[in-house]
Amino acid sequence: MLNVFNTATCMIALLNNFFLLYRREYCAVGSSLLIVVEAFPEWLLARRKRPAGSGGAAAVCVKYPRRALMSEVAVAGRPAVWRGRLGVESQTAAVKPDVRRALQLGLAAIWLLDGVLQYQSFMYSTGFGKMLAGTASGNPSVIARPINWDATLVNHHLVLIDTIFATIQILLGLGIAFRPTVRLGLAASIPWAIGVWWFGEGLGGILNGVASPLNGAPGAVIIYALLAVLLWPADRDVSAPFAAARAVGAHVARALWLVLWLSLAYFALTPANRAPQALNGMIAGMESGEPGWLSAIDRGAASLVAHQGLAASIALSVALVVIAIGVYLPRPAAKATLVLAIVVAIVIWVVGEGFGMILAGGATDPNSGLLLVLLTLTYWPAGTVSASTGAAPVLSADAAGELV
Amino acid sequence: MTPAWILDLLAALMLVVAAVSAARLVMARPWRHGSVIIDTDIAHLLMAIAMAGMLASSLQTLPNTAWEVIFGVMIAWYAFRVVLDARANGVRALAGGHCAPHLVHSGAMLYMFLAMTGSGGMSGMAGMSGGSASSTLSVSDPTLAFVFALVLIGYSIWDLDQLSGRRYSLASARVPLAGVRAGVPAMAGAESMNAAFSGPSPTGAVSGTVTRSGINNDEADGSHAIGCAAAAIDGGNVAGGGVGQFLLSPAVTVGCRVTMGVVMTFMLLIAI
Repeated sequence: MLNVFNTATCMIALLNNFFLLYRREYCAVGSSLLIVVEAFPEWLLARRKRPAGSGGAAAVCVKYPRRALMSEVAVAGRPAVWRGRLGVESQTAAVKPDVRRALQLGLAAIWLLDGVLQYQSFMYSTGFGKMLAGTASGNPSVIARPINWDATLVNHHLVLIDTIFATIQILLGLGIAFRPTVRLGLAASIPWAIGVWWFGEGLGGILNGVASPLNGAPGAVIIYALLAVLLWPADRDVSAPFAAARAVGAHVARALWLVLWLSLAYFALTPANRAPQALNGMIAGMESGEPGWLSAIDRGAASLVAHQGLAASIALSVALVVIAIGVYLPRPAAKATLVLAIVVAIVIWVVGEGFGMILAGGATDPNSGLLLVLLTLTYWPAGTVSASTGAAPVLSADAAGELV
Repeated sequence: MTPAWILDLLAALMLVVAAVSAARLVMARPWRHGSVIIDTDIAHLLMAIAMAGMLASSLQTLPNTAWEVIFGVMIAWYAFRVVLDARANGVRALAGGHCAPHLVHSGAMLYMFLAMTGSGGMSGMAGMSGGSASSTLSVSDPTLAFVFALVLIGYSIWDLDQLSGRRYSLASARVPLAGVRAGVPAMAGAESMNAAFSGPSPTGAVSGTVTRSGINNDEADGSHAIGCAAAAIDGGNVAGGGVGQFLLSPAVTVGCRVTMGVVMTFMLLIAI
C-alpha cells in the first residue's frame, strides 16, 4: 500500500516541480494534491506507532517553498527540511582528467566496445571459428599451426570461449576506466592484445602479404598494446613534449611512431595493394551489408581509385611517410602532419574499413582507423590538447590512485 | 546466436538495478516532507524493468506502446532539465551535465522499442530468449544504434572514471548547517533556484557548498556560497541507517547508471 502511494507521490511531485518551474499558476493545484497524497501514508505510518514529531504532521501543514524542487539527492533530515534543486547530485565538481588520463579513457572505451561486439550473434556461430582459421592462411607454419589449433578449440567450445573472450575484453575496458585498476588493466591488455594479434588476426597479415593500411594492418589489436605502453601511468620524462613520451621517453615514442607509419607506407606499396584494381576491389568489397549511405560512400571511393591502384598506393604511401617523419619536425610542421594523420586515419576507418564493418554486423572490433586517431592524439604536442583547464581538480590516474 | 542464458543473466542484473532503485526511493521516504524525490531513481527503475522485459520475455510487464509513452515523457523531462542545466551552466552542460546521460539513456530506450524487430511476440528483444535458445533481435537502423552505443560507452567510461576519482560520494548527501536558518528549507533560503548541494571534496573533506551557479560550475560564486567550511550533517536520518545511507549515496546511482549504460550498449550492438 505504501509503495503505491510512494509511487503516486513521486509522480505528482514530478508534475508539481514541472509546474513550479514552468507553469507556476498551476503550482497550487499540484502542491495541494501532493499534500493530500502525502498525508495518507503519513497517517498510515503514524498508526504504526511511528515516533512522534517525525515531521509527518508538519508535512501536511508546511507549504512548499517557492523554489523547492526535485533533486537527485535524497536528504531525509528529520528536524530540518532540506530540498535540492533540479539536476543536482551530491558530488563535487567533475574530476577533470589530464591529457593522458583522457586518452586512457578513450582506450578503455574502445576495449569496452570491442568486448561488447564479441557478444554478437555471429561470434556464437561457426563463422567465428572459420574466421579465425582463415587468418592462418599464407602464414608460416610456426604461426599458422597455433592459429588452427585455436580455431578448432573455439569451434568445439564456442559459447564458453567466446563468452570468456568477450568478458575479458569488457573487464579490460572497465579496468582501465576505473582509476585504482588502471595499471592492472593496461598491463593485462598487453599480453591479451598480443595473443589476439597472433591467434585472432594472424599477425595482421604482415607475413602473408595481404596486409594493407586499408584493411587494418599491421593488425588493429597490436595498436591496443602499443597504446597501453605509451599511456602507461608513469613519468619517465616529466618534460615530455607529448603524452606518449611521458612513460617511455620522447626518443622511444618517436621511434615507435616512425616504425608504425613507415610499415603502413611499406604495406601500401606491396604488390597485392598496388595492382590496378586492388584498392578498388578492397573498397568495393566493404559494401556488402552496410547501410545505404555507407555503401554509397564506398561506391564513390571505389570508382575514384578504379584502375588507379598504383597511383593511389603511391599517394597513400607518400602521405604515410610524411606522417611517419612528422614527429621529428618542428612543432608547427609536426602539428600539420598529425592533422594529416588524423584525416588519413578517418579515411581509412570510414572508406577502407567501413567502421570496422560494425554496421554490417559480425565485427569483432572497430578495426585500426579509430585506434590510429587515438594514437595520433597521444603525440599531439603538450599544451595544445588540454583537458586540464578550469578550476576543477585535475587528476592523473596516479594521483587518483593515491586518493582511493 | 547470443545464448539465452547471457540475456537472462543481464535481465537478472537489471532486476537488481531495479531493486536498488526502488530501495533508494523507499529509503528516501519521498512521501515525507523533508525528503527529496529522486527522479533519476524513478527513471532507473522504469528503464531497468523495461530492459529486463526486453531481455527475457517472462519479465515483460507493460505493452510496448506504454513503454514508448513512458520513455517519450522521460525524454521530454530530461530534455527540459538539460536545457535548464545549460542555461545555468553553459552549453557544456548539454553534453557533460547531469541530465544529459539520462536523456541519452531515455532516447536509447525509446529507440530500442521503436526500432527493434524480433521473431518473438514482442517487437523488441523479448522474443529472443522466450522459448528459443538465442537472440534474434535486430534493429531497423544500425547507424543510429551504433551512434547510441558509442555515446553510451562514452558516458559509462566517464562515469566510471569519475566514480573512482571520488567525484561521487559513497555517503548520502550532506548539507551544511551554517548560514541556513534553522527550520528553513535550505533551498528556500537560497536566493536562486540554481542553488545546489555539493558533496564531499575529492580529498574527503566536507565541503557541502551551496552555490548559486550549479553543480557543474567550477567557479562557484563565493558571495552566494553558504557555509563552505561548516560542519555538515548527512542524511543520517534516512531509513535503514548505514545501509540506507549507502543506498542513497550518489555513487550507487552512478553505479546503476554505468551498469545500465553497458547493458544498453550490449542490447544495441547485438541487435545490429
